[in-house]
Amino acid sequence: MAVQASPAAAQQTVLVSTDWVSQHLNDPSIRIVEVDVDTKAYGESHVPSALGWAWDTQLCDTVRRDIIPQAKFEQLLGQSGIDNSTTVVLYGDNNNWFAAWAFWQLKVYGHKDVRLMNGGRKKWIAEGRELTTDAPQVSSKSYKAQSPDNSIRAFLPEVMKASSEKSAALVDVRSPQEYSGEILAPPGLPETCQRGGHIPGAKSMPWGKACNEDGTFKNTDELKALYGGIGVTADKPAIAYCRIGERSSHTWFVLKHLLGYKNVKNYDGSWTEWGNLVAAPVEKP
Amino acid sequence: MPKPEEYSEKKTELAGWPVNIVTYRLGTVYHTTIDNTDPGAWVVKAQGATKQEAESKALKDAQALMEKVKKSKPPTGCTSVPGF
Repeated sequence: MAVQASPAAAQQTVLVSTDWVSQHLNDPSIRIVEVDVDTKAYGESHVPSALGWAWDTQLCDTVRRDIIPQAKFEQLLGQSGIDNSTTVVLYGDNNNWFAAWAFWQLKVYGHKDVRLMNGGRKKWIAEGRELTTDAPQVSSKSYKAQSPDNSIRAFLPEVMKASSEKSAALVDVRSPQEYSGEILAPPGLPETCQRGGHIPGAKSMPWGKACNEDGTFKNTDELKALYGGIGVTADKPAIAYCRIGERSSHTWFVLKHLLGYKNVKNYDGSWTEWGNLVAAPVEKP
Repeated sequence: MPKPEEYSEKKTELAGWPVNIVTYRLGTVYHTTIDNTDPGAWVVKAQGATKQEAESKALKDAQALMEKVKKSKPPTGCTSVPGF
């Protein structure tokens, strides 16, 4: 049986600082990629040598609702100059929401070395570090993905079971107003569900609670206490969800990779699936 | 390569919703981003020749957007469907 890495050791392999990134801008074994909520942000300015991926066209299936298909994933990474041995460093706006979404998809397809830049785009800018509008010159490489690892992805039937049989802790990472059903989507963002509220049995833990003011992640003791407070611990399966699956990728990253909890899944269908189902139970506090 | 300067961050309320305003200067242009604090999603961006110009534009657009947020009636209880 594999020995589980300690949280501190796990952090070292998946998190890098802005300082570290600034020292590895021209390292050929590393590819830096920006993934933002605001898909125009990369074009306006980005970390030197970083590529940009658009979450809404390049990191999803554009025909049916799904993550990026395997063949397109292989094509995207290959065209980005990434092969199976490349270290991929992801960062983005909103404290790495969609960078975490990309991280999760890279892990679904088995990429070995993926890391997040702690603090994301916000911290890089706040620190007054160099920015550019130049896209890097990239030579394509060959990339072979592994079959999707659905041990880190929850689909509807499993979430229904978790809700009705309490077989996994459900973590609703949306804002308190979305959890309560007061609003259907975050202020300023489009509404995409028919009903408000949350999945019965889910506990509220807004994703941002895991972050410090500067956008970096809290330390492992703080994170353990935070999630332990709602019954999410290392010995129990957990499923995180939000509205469309990106905020919950962030929480999934925290539980799976910063705290090292073994059985954690991201339910990317999230509230835009559950809140649109006919006859699905909905809980409102 | 240019570096962002004069970075500032402040919180306020628009149409009853807390928002976070970030402004910085890149070269000669001021960039303002307004996010909705919780959950923290970017909602409006604007640029201007001065900090005040960039923030005024962004605040005007953000105000209009935040006023459109629909609130449901207060939660009244739990509903469930047996056998689901």
